[in-house]
Amino acid sequence: MAPSDINEIYISSSPHYKSKSSTQKTMLTVIISMLPIVIASIVIFGFAALEVVLTSVISCVVFEAAFQKLTKKTIRINDLSAVVTGLMLACVLPAGAPVWETILGSLVAIVVAKEFFGGLGSNVFNPALIGRAFMFVSFPVAMGSAWLQPGTDVVSGATVLSQLKAGTSVVATKSTYLQFLLGNRAGCLGETSIALILLAFIVLTALKIIDWRAPVAMVLTVAIGTIIAGGDVILALLSGGLLFGAVFMVTDYATTPVTKKGRLIFGFGAGLITFLIRQFGSYPEGVMFSILIMNAVAPFLNNLMSRKYGYEKDNKTPRMVQKSSKKDTK
Amino acid sequence: MLSFKGGITPPERKELSNKMPIQAAFPSTKTVSIPVTQGGAPNQPIVKVGDTVVRGQKIAESDAFMSAPVHASVSGKIKKIENRLTSTNTDALCIVIAADESEETDFMPKMDPFTVSKKEAIQRVKDAGIVGMGGASFPTHVKLSIPAGKNIDFVLVNAAECEPYLTIDERNLQEKTDALIDGLAIAMHIADAEAGSIVLEENKAYLIPNLEDAIKKAGYSEKMGVVLVKTKYPQGGEKNIISAATGREIPAKGLPADTGCVVQNVGTLIAISEAFREGKPLIDRPFTISGGAVKEPKNLIVPVGTVIGDLIPEVIQLDKNVTKILSGGPMMGFSVMNANFPVAKNTSGVLFMTKEELSLEEESPCINCGRCVDVCSCRLYPVLIVKSLKMGDTKSALKYGLMDCVDCGTCQFSCPANIKLVQRIRTGKTAFRAELAAQKAKQIAKEGK
Repeated sequence: MAPSDINEIYISSSPHYKSKSSTQKTMLTVIISMLPIVIASIVIFGFAALEVVLTSVISCVVFEAAFQKLTKKTIRINDLSAVVTGLMLACVLPAGAPVWETILGSLVAIVVAKEFFGGLGSNVFNPALIGRAFMFVSFPVAMGSAWLQPGTDVVSGATVLSQLKAGTSVVATKSTYLQFLLGNRAGCLGETSIALILLAFIVLTALKIIDWRAPVAMVLTVAIGTIIAGGDVILALLSGGLLFGAVFMVTDYATTPVTKKGRLIFGFGAGLITFLIRQFGSYPEGVMFSILIMNAVAPFLNNLMSRKYGYEKDNKTPRMVQKSSKKDTK
Repeated sequence: MLSFKGGITPPERKELSNKMPIQAAFPSTKTVSIPVTQGGAPNQPIVKVGDTVVRGQKIAESDAFMSAPVHASVSGKIKKIENRLTSTNTDALCIVIAADESEETDFMPKMDPFTVSKKEAIQRVKDAGIVGMGGASFPTHVKLSIPAGKNIDFVLVNAAECEPYLTIDERNLQEKTDALIDGLAIAMHIADAEAGSIVLEENKAYLIPNLEDAIKKAGYSEKMGVVLVKTKYPQGGEKNIISAATGREIPAKGLPADTGCVVQNVGTLIAISEAFREGKPLIDRPFTISGGAVKEPKNLIVPVGTVIGDLIPEVIQLDKNVTKILSGGPMMGFSVMNANFPVAKNTSGVLFMTKEELSLEEESPCINCGRCVDVCSCRLYPVLIVKSLKMGDTKSALKYGLMDCVDCGTCQFSCPANIKLVQRIRTGKTAFRAELAAQKAKQIAKEGK
């Protein structure tokens, strides 16, 4: 008897070969790309930032495990997606956000926005942004108006965007831009270190974890809008959550389209709404709502396809070969 | 470098066997088990149990144009005609022949392909039972019967051999170069093609000087050449090799002939040459034995119908635990429940795979990353097809490319969540075809009234 006859032989449909990629590895890459940003925020804002990060990550993981246990599903916290959500949420919260508020935000993010919709991959809205939106409207004082200034424990009045909104003139100098680039300004944890966000963008794009289309479309749209409105373009790009949102939120797998054209339009739409809210809305910052609005549109944007093999551009008519007479193969 | 958009670069593992010359082997039981149908329309046996047959004698055929007859690959006595396990892991009718010692053969008379009429030449290809030896086993005479109104510019020799592990085309390219070039010339003649190109993946670029020499020696330098394409899976897919080599695309629901191309596998062309020059039908099959569990991966040539189990342990030795037995390559091959299945005309390889080489992980939730979209060799939307199918939305599934899928498996290979995309798409295709057939039947019934 051949050895093959005494072994356990598996039967399955092809293919039988598989790349080494896994959900866990993908999530881990995203986490690693976020670490410099998180560490920088802790350096800038001190313990208050660390507290937010730890609270958010731990409660997200705990809530996910608890929900899955409670609903008798397989516990999948090993896929690290809850850690990513926790980090994302922390990055869009101000340093010094109260612990209990952060825990509530995590609960809404994981249980309401993610698990109620069917868990990993099935959620319609970005969980971290839903968590933030919940906190934003529920606790406006802690979330919207009291920003911790870097390096101090002093709660100051406003961010640049809210100052702009209020009509206070902000005169930006070269050093202001530099401070923004380095992250030395008031703002949410992950939004501040622009240079590190750009680094993460480059790394994630190079590793093909994210697609450049949506982020670039979003940022360009805001830039063009600001130019037309006569605003300070560099300040508009460097301030608020624009770049963080563009790199980490409009590239979120579950809540954005998979088609390339769909991604371009998604980024364009998010950019346009951000600009409109900043320009005309009553909120100083528009990134959160713009992405959440576009999340709802994402499934529809999957209708925007590129040309499939063997079809004309309409993707319906078969593409007939126009034979240029006697073409050589070489 | 010529190529197509999408695709993957899986580990090739061709070094395991690509230096091993093709070696002839014979089953230890001196018995072959020949499937009655090996490509094309279903055949019927034309011999009975107890009959004596001679190597090369026709033993099964059908009247249908889309069929390819099957011949005895050894001389001997018909022992049984019964259902047996075959290389697609399904039972099918097989003719079991116990070989005697006779060296007798019953080949067809030799024929000069260039002086007979095209009709006679195509008939010869059919009589020889030649089918696509790359894996699809589509009857070759059908491929060479160019529909009226279509002109063929190129015959492409599919020598990409993009499936990992398989090296039989690579060996044939160097061991049977002249027969290959003769086969190409015959195919070009039958199809009225202007030019012929041997399309190689870059990893076989070392064969170019040999091939070009042989072309020159045969006097075909004017109309034959070698084209190099990027080493990438599935470069050897019919749709991809045509678009890579010529920049043309097979129109949706169309045929390769619509692009002015005929694509033939290396082995098929060698079989065509032998059918004319020796009158020999397709009764011997060269293939690769490889995989991590095989002690000495190698390339063999055996009579069609040789049961793989009958080559163990005399020819094939296994030294590790086997987790999967594959007929064909790891991307598109079939997993078979045990090794007791016969080599068929389209068996390009048999792989004994260890656990380490495979992925046996469970499915996890789709994270919607879109990697399947990036790698799809036909620029389709696998994740969206599968989601549409899940919701019962056939219309959307069709829009995202359900019926354009070629089952190449690149999507599933790349999926971080191990989703069985190909299996689901296949099921969806079968269901849709059944739906169409049912609709058609209804229509006919209606019109009948």
